[in-house]
Amino acid sequence: MKQETTNKTLLFILENMMRVTAFFSAVMMFLAKLNPARITILINETMSLFTSAVSFKKLTSEALRALSPEKHWVYISDFYIINGSSIAICLGIVAVALGAALSIGNAKFKRLTTYLVGAGSILQLAGLVGIYVDYTRLLMSVSPDHVMAAIPIGYYIVMAFAILSFLLAIALFIFEPKPTPKMEYEMSRPSQLMIMFLPFAALIFVFSYLPLWGWRYAFFDYQAGMDLTLDRFVGFYWFKVLFSSTGSDILRVLRNTFIMSGLGLATSWLPMIFAVFLAEITSTRFKRVIQLFTTIPNFISWVLVYALALAIFSTDGFINGFLSNVLNIPSDTNYLMEDAGTWIKMWAWGTWKGLGWSAIIYIAAISSIDPVMYEAATIDGASRFQKMRYITIPSLLPTYFVLLVLSVAAILSNGMDQYLVFENPANTDQITVLDLYVYQIGLDKGLIPLSTVVGMLKSIISITLLLSVNALSKRVRGESVI
Amino acid sequence: MARKRRLESKTFGDRIFDVFNHAGFLLFTIACFFPFYYLFINTISDNELVLRGVINFIPRGIQFKNYIGLYVVKDIPQAFFITTARTILGTALMVLASAFIGYLVTKKEMRARKFLYRFMIITMYFNAGLIPWYLNMSMLGLTNSFMAYIIPGIVAPFNIILVKTYIESIPADLEESAFMDGAGYMKVFRYIIWPLSKPILATIAIFGAVGHWNSFIDSLILMQGSDNLFTLQHRLYIYLTEVSSLDAMLQSSPGSIAEALNQKVIKYTISMVSVIPILAVYPFMQRYFEKGIMLGAVKG
Repeated sequence: MKQETTNKTLLFILENMMRVTAFFSAVMMFLAKLNPARITILINETMSLFTSAVSFKKLTSEALRALSPEKHWVYISDFYIINGSSIAICLGIVAVALGAALSIGNAKFKRLTTYLVGAGSILQLAGLVGIYVDYTRLLMSVSPDHVMAAIPIGYYIVMAFAILSFLLAIALFIFEPKPTPKMEYEMSRPSQLMIMFLPFAALIFVFSYLPLWGWRYAFFDYQAGMDLTLDRFVGFYWFKVLFSSTGSDILRVLRNTFIMSGLGLATSWLPMIFAVFLAEITSTRFKRVIQLFTTIPNFISWVLVYALALAIFSTDGFINGFLSNVLNIPSDTNYLMEDAGTWIKMWAWGTWKGLGWSAIIYIAAISSIDPVMYEAATIDGASRFQKMRYITIPSLLPTYFVLLVLSVAAILSNGMDQYLVFENPANTDQITVLDLYVYQIGLDKGLIPLSTVVGMLKSIISITLLLSVNALSKRVRGESVI
Repeated sequence: MARKRRLESKTFGDRIFDVFNHAGFLLFTIACFFPFYYLFINTISDNELVLRGVINFIPRGIQFKNYIGLYVVKDIPQAFFITTARTILGTALMVLASAFIGYLVTKKEMRARKFLYRFMIITMYFNAGLIPWYLNMSMLGLTNSFMAYIIPGIVAPFNIILVKTYIESIPADLEESAFMDGAGYMKVFRYIIWPLSKPILATIAIFGAVGHWNSFIDSLILMQGSDNLFTLQHRLYIYLTEVSSLDAMLQSSPGSIAEALNQKVIKYTISMVSVIPILAVYPFMQRYFEKGIMLGAVKG
């Protein structure tokens, strides 16, 4: 009996170790820093093992000169070997990951797991051998200085993981109970569901969690195209820079951000009033026309809004044309190039685009109010405004409150589309909000670490705000908003 | 009859309110509609008159050569093709995935359901920032690649919530009887859940399609080295903000039709071309949109 429990514990430990190993192998596939195939500086430093496997074009993109017939520092066959080996390692990792996922099934599945993990590990090791062979070939290049062949750190790490998973597969093979010959592949229903979800969980991980790995740039002195090495580590240098020398920048940007969000918050009741007043219109047809036309702007892009703005307000737009040709007042003002009233104008465009659409949620809420309440109020002699004041608006307030809380949490996130398209030299001082600033310093000026710092702080503050307003809402109203 | 009584019972104040209320809504409706109309009449009027700025309310000298001319203008047909392709492919995959995930997360018996669901939902409120996102995309080999438009959008948490809420309203007996008959999750999804959730799937399909059609930031940031992968909105953005690139494009385009076009008119025409698909389908889709946001409201 005791023997059995120890065996169970052992299996439990081995199995989970194998799963963890598989998980980290899979993550490593996407980390450029740990790419085992980057054995020469001729391979771009942003290449991950995965990219080395799937895109031969990108693999060779920086080696075109070295590959040219007159140089021939390296041969195209070298890259075929690297590419092929990367494919082998990736397939091996996929097999290991698949095996790890299937290990939640019955004994027959577990047996399949050991085969998959074993075979996957061997495939990885084969790929690593291929890379080593290519490394020795690169060492003999006619121009070692340009090739700089070296075994990267990721090579050893991937190898360690491959060996570990191979050993674990063998151990599981030995200690796991053998499936009986008549056994079928079976998996409990809860596990089936989880297995079906896992591919999507992988997508979510790769596109939403993996980018967090990029936060490390915030602590380095880094420029595009550089190697990220430890001697460039600068600690919190960029955080200090943000609040000192460029201090005027960040203060200006924060001012714009808060003013834009503040205007939005201060007028957040507009959609509610829109819905309340719309309900007072008796003609259904007129109502429908209003709803049709006022919701369209929500579905066009900010680029198109800007196109419309140009058509109406630019030098040769509608306003000037109307003034000069219809009213005979010569005029050629470009209203979009003025620096006055930028905030109000941006707020107005946002409202123009979003008002009709935001009102829909309140319109739906009004239609679900019990008509008996209105009838009773009418009998009691309530006027129209009293009904609005005491019936309609109070029943909309819960919805309003939820939306208000969410927009308080999003106070730093204005989005950048609108401000990017409307920005010009005249209004840039007023229009640059945080999201646009991150774009400008990161991609226009190439200050990658500084931009990362701003984005990182923004994310952290935003999620903290969200959680605190949610907690507040729970305490005050007994309801959570997220 | 009831209507008449209401009219009679209106006070003077009520009537004043009605007048202002109607006038206010009328004005705002016109403000929403007029820019589109103005743009349109300027693309179909005589280009000479358009340049003099005299086309304000009524089109004059109606012609359609601007739209025909656009066809020979370099890179607009290509951008149109790319945008259409990403809209169709991206939307189809997103809808399939949302339907399937939406179904999976309604199953209470799923192993680690709470953790996996939260793992997904949190991503709606949190992102690493622009630069880490960009570096991640380039690490994945998704810069200068059409797949960058498609793959990241497959899992869309907000749409999944909508689908989940909808599926929860489908009577559970339907599913249970299918399980009794020995059907697996896949079969139940394919033959029961999928057909029954078509209304909500139509809704998220439209949300998704509009999002794909309108996006330009991803072109701007990720496709810097591939001119043939730009979307229509991206071209429009560049031509609206960089006069020089519009000039260059006009000069490099062949044929006499392109010569007849001028900066102002071509901007208007490209704008119209990129908005017409939305305006054309909008009235038919409106009810789906509304249904969608109401379902979203249930979750809050």
